[in-house]
Amino acid sequence: MDKLEFSSWNGKVVDNRKGKAKKASRAAAVPFPAPVRGEKAAAVMGWNGLVVLEPGADVPSLTVQYLKEIRKISCGECSVCMIGIDMLLDIFKDMADGEGFESDLAEVEKIVRDVAANAKCNFGQSALFPVSDAVKHYRADFVAVVKGDRKIDGKAYGTAVTAPCIEACPASLDIPGYIEYIKNNRFSDSLGLIRKNCILPGVIGRTCTHPCESACVRKDLDGSLSIRLLKRAAADFERKEKSAPLPVPSGAKDGKVAVIGSGPAGLAAAYNLRRKGYGVTVFETLPEAGGMAAVGIPDYRLPLDILRHEIGLIGDMGVEIALNSGIGKIDMDDFRKKGYQALFLAVGAHAGNRMGVKGEETKCDGLVDGVEFLRDLNLGKKIAPKKKVLIIGGGNVAIDCARSCVRLGFKDVEILYRRSRAEMPARLEEIEGAEEEGVKIRYLTAPLEVVSKSGKFSCLNCIRMKLGKPDESGRKRPEPVKGSEHVVEADLVISAIGQSAVIPVTASKKSLSVNKNGTVKVDPKTMMTSVEGIFSGGDCVTGPATLIEAIAAGNMAAEGIDLYLRGEAAGGGLSFDGVDLKSQRAGGYVVKEGAEAVPFLEMAKRTTGFGEVEGGFSHAGAMEEAKRCLRCYRVAVWEKGK
Amino acid sequence: MVNIVINGRKEKAKEGATILEVAREKKLDIPTLCYHKDLSPFGACRLCTVEVKTNGKWQMVPSCNTPVENGMEIATDSEKVLENRKAVAEMLYYRYPETEAVREMAERLGVDVFSEKGEEHDCILCGLCVRTCKEIVGVSALSFEDRGPERDLEEPRIGFDPNACIGCGSCAFVCPTGFVTMEAVDDKRIIWNKVFQMTECAVCGKYFAPEDQLKYISRTTGVPFAKLTTCNNCR
Repeated sequence: MDKLEFSSWNGKVVDNRKGKAKKASRAAAVPFPAPVRGEKAAAVMGWNGLVVLEPGADVPSLTVQYLKEIRKISCGECSVCMIGIDMLLDIFKDMADGEGFESDLAEVEKIVRDVAANAKCNFGQSALFPVSDAVKHYRADFVAVVKGDRKIDGKAYGTAVTAPCIEACPASLDIPGYIEYIKNNRFSDSLGLIRKNCILPGVIGRTCTHPCESACVRKDLDGSLSIRLLKRAAADFERKEKSAPLPVPSGAKDGKVAVIGSGPAGLAAAYNLRRKGYGVTVFETLPEAGGMAAVGIPDYRLPLDILRHEIGLIGDMGVEIALNSGIGKIDMDDFRKKGYQALFLAVGAHAGNRMGVKGEETKCDGLVDGVEFLRDLNLGKKIAPKKKVLIIGGGNVAIDCARSCVRLGFKDVEILYRRSRAEMPARLEEIEGAEEEGVKIRYLTAPLEVVSKSGKFSCLNCIRMKLGKPDESGRKRPEPVKGSEHVVEADLVISAIGQSAVIPVTASKKSLSVNKNGTVKVDPKTMMTSVEGIFSGGDCVTGPATLIEAIAAGNMAAEGIDLYLRGEAAGGGLSFDGVDLKSQRAGGYVVKEGAEAVPFLEMAKRTTGFGEVEGGFSHAGAMEEAKRCLRCYRVAVWEKGK
Repeated sequence: MVNIVINGRKEKAKEGATILEVAREKKLDIPTLCYHKDLSPFGACRLCTVEVKTNGKWQMVPSCNTPVENGMEIATDSEKVLENRKAVAEMLYYRYPETEAVREMAERLGVDVFSEKGEEHDCILCGLCVRTCKEIVGVSALSFEDRGPERDLEEPRIGFDPNACIGCGSCAFVCPTGFVTMEAVDDKRIIWNKVFQMTECAVCGKYFAPEDQLKYISRTTGVPFAKLTTCNNCR
């Protein structure tokens, strides 16, 4: 970033203009939404201030453009926000037409104050401040407009809209937008908006780790909105009321794309490419589509019919999904011969990691890895319950295995985890759910050796651990306690200590570049691998991650593939990295009310079957919950720079 | 009961009641355009804003949807409140200068209003009709349209679902500006441009309710349609 001309970001004024007193000249003083990826900005106007980067920036014209953009986000629900914006636009129009007065500038500041003080949502309360900053600090330019010495005219502009929740979402779902639709009883419109960035709404509405809820401004007031469950409500409403097909592209594009893997990343890419008009074939090794969503998540969390319904809709758009069609070796030339101009590799991470203990390599009956166990279970393999099962690991897979074992009829289900509860990576509600169902968790215990006799698992030699200094992951490192070795007996051991990707080899001269940990290397901007025409995303690029991250990768890859096939390059934009999206200069009084509750399956039914545990919102409950949204939309408009 | 201080006077108030409910019970005048005692508060018109002191800080809040809290200090007529109300009324008047309900309100709150009577019946988006249709009638035929990120630059408006509407006319009854109209022509009622066949009272022969409404009542209550065809006066 070059020199900063002026900034009022966050209310902190930095002014380096000629003739103005020098205060500070570091652009980094307050992080503001800054242009990235080759984008240039002459000036940026956003909810929290005005930032001028080039001396020639046209602040009055930018102000008018900003008002036009925020008017699109203003919902008109309360009396002041949209009307206030219109009043300001009228004032600036009069000025531009030579019918304004200098005294109008004071009126501008009054309207900004009145809207901020009275608007119903966080957007209305915050959005107008930069207009006030502009007329205050660039008064001479506005006076020149009044006098007819300066014009208000359109330059090249860019607009970015976000919110704390949107920014936290890997797939950047328009969360306040889809919530607003639900509030207004427009569930189908809500679902349509969700699907723009998330093609498995019913799946994600059930399984998402919802980082959006951690970012919700209500979190520290009276609890975050149940954003995940609202998404589920939109999806469930559609399934119950009327299932409309996904929009099919009007004009077909030349070009076919092969997608390897039908997990969330593959499906998201397939859907987006199909929507853009490309022909898409998805190749899946397993007899069931959905990747980890199908074989990694048990039915009590995600009923298979939900996933099948959503995949079915993608299939109905004309995406061909070939099951039982594993691709062992990727030959891009061969794919090209078959008409595929690009390939998206999304094979996930389906290989269970080794525990790295003695005796593990000896194949024995009674020792399985977690992903394999869940895969067998989900593909319908009969698993006979035994008396005691031990699950090694503290992640979501470990919990999924444990809770599944409860349902299968294992009498004694115990998790061994080498750290303490505070470091457990599994979702808290999942850990609590497991405990409610009778799963025991033995903390600070690690396996040392798998003991087997004549091909049959016998027992696990373990050791107690204590927590030392934090490691690279930020969690306290477990250290063995000398002399605490002990034996733990069980009938079955499931090791669930992480997964890795198994990357198919390429047949072309150039092989796929991989990272040290075995994941595929891609250009983060285009998602292309080291082999031209082959793109990759999802768990096989990031290592085991969440479903929504995989969907985000699929969305991005579809963009990258589309640009590649059209021979275009990705443009830049505005980045909100490091910008405090929660803070705003005026905030309203928020009535504390707490989230709406949903029903849960009764305990007796949980230990006997795989029925869905968590219920969804009722129609009315979803609308009530949606009302809690504070609409913390943040808009930034920039005049393109030189 | 909770203890509150309202306009400097110590009072007791029902727990969970909104500031507006308490104030009206104490005969304190707070203007509203989007409030109705039988509907859930909406907080749209922003005219009912008052000041409250919580945690030592005075803040502006809409009184219609803010419940009283123990120890809350409330000012319903401070200079700041009155100024603020006037500013909101000015904005409403700016947008709807010809709508009588808005003009009356603006004048009452100190805005300079042109003397001639307003001729228009604008929709001020108070949401009374939408809430009545959902909460009282129970059919949700009305909703807000053109809201949300995909809307165009037109004004938001009320969306009407003719398949859900039963023609009861509650929306027209509750509308404060006369925007929602209901017309009776012979044996027909026209509302939101939908034509409803009226039912004759089996006793007096007057047209008294749309067929669709009686069918809806029959469906939801289980009372046979034939038993509903007598008007209130003849029952």
